[in-house]
Formats: sequence, structure tokens, C-alpha cells
Amino acid sequence: MSKTKNVSKPPAGGTSRREQLRQQQAQAAREHKIRTWTTIGIAGVVLALIVGAVIWGITNSSTGTPSTASRNVATQDYALVIGEQDAPVTISIYQDYMCPYCGQFERANRDDLEALVANGTAKVELHLMNFLDPQSQGTNFSTRSANALVTVANAEPEYAMAFNAAIYDNQPGEGTSGLSDDELVALARGVGVSDAVSATFADLANADFVNGSNAAAYAAGIKSTPTVKINGEDFTGSQIFTAGALRSAVENAAG
Amino acid sequence: MSELFERVHRFRQSNGWIFGYMLFSSLISLTASFVLSVDALELARNPGADLACNINSVISCGTVGATWQANLLGFPNAYLGLIAEPVVITIAVASLAKVKFPRGFMLAAQIVYTIGLVFAYWLFYQSMFHINALCPWCLLVTLSTTLVFSSLTHVNIRDNNLFLPPRVQNALASGLRMGLDGLIVVLWLTFIVLAILLKYGAALFA
Repeated sequence: MSKTKNVSKPPAGGTSRREQLRQQQAQAAREHKIRTWTTIGIAGVVLALIVGAVIWGITNSSTGTPSTASRNVATQDYALVIGEQDAPVTISIYQDYMCPYCGQFERANRDDLEALVANGTAKVELHLMNFLDPQSQGTNFSTRSANALVTVANAEPEYAMAFNAAIYDNQPGEGTSGLSDDELVALARGVGVSDAVSATFADLANADFVNGSNAAAYAAGIKSTPTVKINGEDFTGSQIFTAGALRSAVENAAG
Repeated sequence: MSELFERVHRFRQSNGWIFGYMLFSSLISLTASFVLSVDALELARNPGADLACNINSVISCGTVGATWQANLLGFPNAYLGLIAEPVVITIAVASLAKVKFPRGFMLAAQIVYTIGLVFAYWLFYQSMFHINALCPWCLLVTLSTTLVFSSLTHVNIRDNNLFLPPRVQNALASGLRMGLDGLIVVLWLTFIVLAILLKYGAALFA
């Protein structure tokens, strides 16, 4: 493990015994001196680590509990709200799982959204829509997938965002029959949703919520997906598909 | 103060300390390997299984366990730990009981364990930069493998078990007497922890 250039000289032939002893003593003294500094160094690093950990702990606890922020998912006013209620910025996302650009937006901004929610800068309002139901050959994929997400958000909110991401990672093409109920169940189980919850997807118990959410979005003047708003202001254009743009806009809004 | 340092240093060179922490670390490594082996079976039976260590997007053994890197040799890597760690445990326990192993045996142990260390860090690298997820039990294996390696190397240099040329052996032994081994291990582990924090930061606790 330890490699050092400090090579002790082998005793040269013919050196007297006294000279050898003297060299050994000099070597021992050198080693002793360095040993002291090494020990101080070890103690210093360990101490710095402890101090660092304590400071980290204090700064984290004073900014609330970001560790649980992304697990706070609540359904209210036909939206899923992810993050701390009193976060300074609200990001509203109107989406339909059948809409390819919604997937593009989500995949580009997933990490940024996760980080913004985790550090308490923003909360995300997910408005699920199903106006693209006619695009799935009669299987109503938009309603079924949105219903599944609401079911997860109600029963096991800690998996909602991962499930949302999983659906987008496996997003079917527009106009195809979409993912089957079994495929949605498999995706949910893949991110940790329990069998008891995923087994209820086919009941469509939250289809009314999705219909209501879609109607509320229309009433609010939403004409296309994805529509993204930062504190109610539209965030539009190609920038929404570029990772980082949304994040800096949100950070600016947070001041 | 200086006298205290000397006592700490002498303690760190003692058989009790070296083999004690070798035993402790190898037991941890064996435990972690065992848990990972059981998880691997669970994942094989049920690919969507919710493992207790799936904490968030960064800390997730389900993500890591499902990759090809986790079964590099065609079986779960953790099986290697189940094979190798009991040998180290035996060495540590026997040495605590004052058994002296032949030099060749210790050299073989050093070679095999060095390969294990390289493998552990290759997996850590893959996990950090390619899989982009860490698994708690794998990190524990990385840590305990490092500690076992350092204790094994320490004792093998101290007892001149590695058949090194005298110049190299002298230099390494001198390094041990200066306590550089401890400094290297502490700095190395600090570097690993900082690398994880810098790469994942707040996402670790999300």
C-alpha cells in the first residue's frame, strides 16, 4: 500500500560497525519525525471530515427536509402536486402520456425537476390530460396511463415520479394502441409499486379524476401539450426541450 | 503529545489491531456479499422486486443489480465475496491465535486479494459513471475490501512476505514505520467520499 521514495541505503561494504549504527539511528530519527507529521495529517483529515459532516448536517436541516420533499405528492384541484407546499416557485406541467413532445420535455428536464423539488426551490403541479385518447386505436391509453399514475400517487406517492419517468421511458408512438394494462403494471412494479396497488390499475377508479383534470385544463385555456408554466407564466418555445433552460428560468423566478 | 502519537503508532503495528480490523472488515464484506447474493436471487425470480435498498434514483441496488456488470462472469459478482472472504476471516482468526502462515501462502493471498480489489473498484467505477446509481451494499463491499486489502498489505510488508527486492522492501517497511499507510488509506477513502458527494450531491438524500 505505502510506496515511498525514501529508500534506506544498504550498508556499503567495509563500513565500520559504528558507522552502520550511526546511519540506523539517523534513519530512525528521520522516520520518527515524519511519523509525527503523518499522525497529525491523519488526525487532521479525520477531524476535517467530521467537521464537514456536521456542517453539512446543519445546513441541510436548516433548509427543511429536502430528503422527503420529492415524496410529497398530493392530489388537489385536479393536479398532482410534488414537493413542498411553500416552495417559492410553482412549475405547472400539462401533459398527456400519448404526446411525444411531453416525453421529450420530461426526459430533457427530469433531473432538473427532481433537483429543484429536492432542494425546495420549486414544487411541480402535474396536470394529467387525456384528450389524445382517440390516438390509441380505441384503447384509451391516455386515460389508462394517467389513471395508473393517479392511483400510485394516492396510494404510494413515493413512487409517483419514478413511475411517471418509467412511462415516458417506454412511451408508445402516437397512433399505436399504446401500452397494455399489463405493461403498465410491469412498469409500476419495476419502480417499486406494490402488487396490491398495481393490480387496481384496470379498475380505472381515477378515470373521473383524469377527465376532470382534462376539463379543468381546457377551462384554463390550455390548447396543447406540453404546456409549461412557471408561477403561472407560460414557458414556451424550443427551450423547453433543452436541459438546463427550465432550471435557470425557475432559479431566476426564485430570485 | 509526541508520546501519545508513538503509542498510537505502536498500537497500529500490533497484531491485535491489524488482524482485528482485518477480521472486522472481512466479516462486514462477507455480510454485504451475502445480502447481495440473496438480492440477486430475488431479482432473478422477480425482476421488478422492491428491494429494501431502493431508496431513490441514485441509491438503488435494484438498478445496479439488473446490469450486465453485476454478473460479469455469468453469475452474481457477490458470489466471489462469498468464496474469498471466508479465507481472509480464517487468516485473521488464525493469526490472532498466533499462527504464522508460510510466506508463499501470504503472497498468494495478497495476489488474489489484489485482483479482488481491482475488481471491486472497477465495479465502483462502472456504478458511478456508467450505471449512474449506487447500491449501499456494493459501497460497503468497496469500503471493506479496501480495509481488508490495506491490513493484508500492511502485514505482508511488515513480515517481508512479498519476496520483493531488498531495496523495495526496505523502502516500503520504512514507509510503514513512518505511518504512511494510515495516511494513504484515510486520504483515499476521503477522495472516494468526496467523489460521490460531488457527483451526486443533494440527489443522494432526495
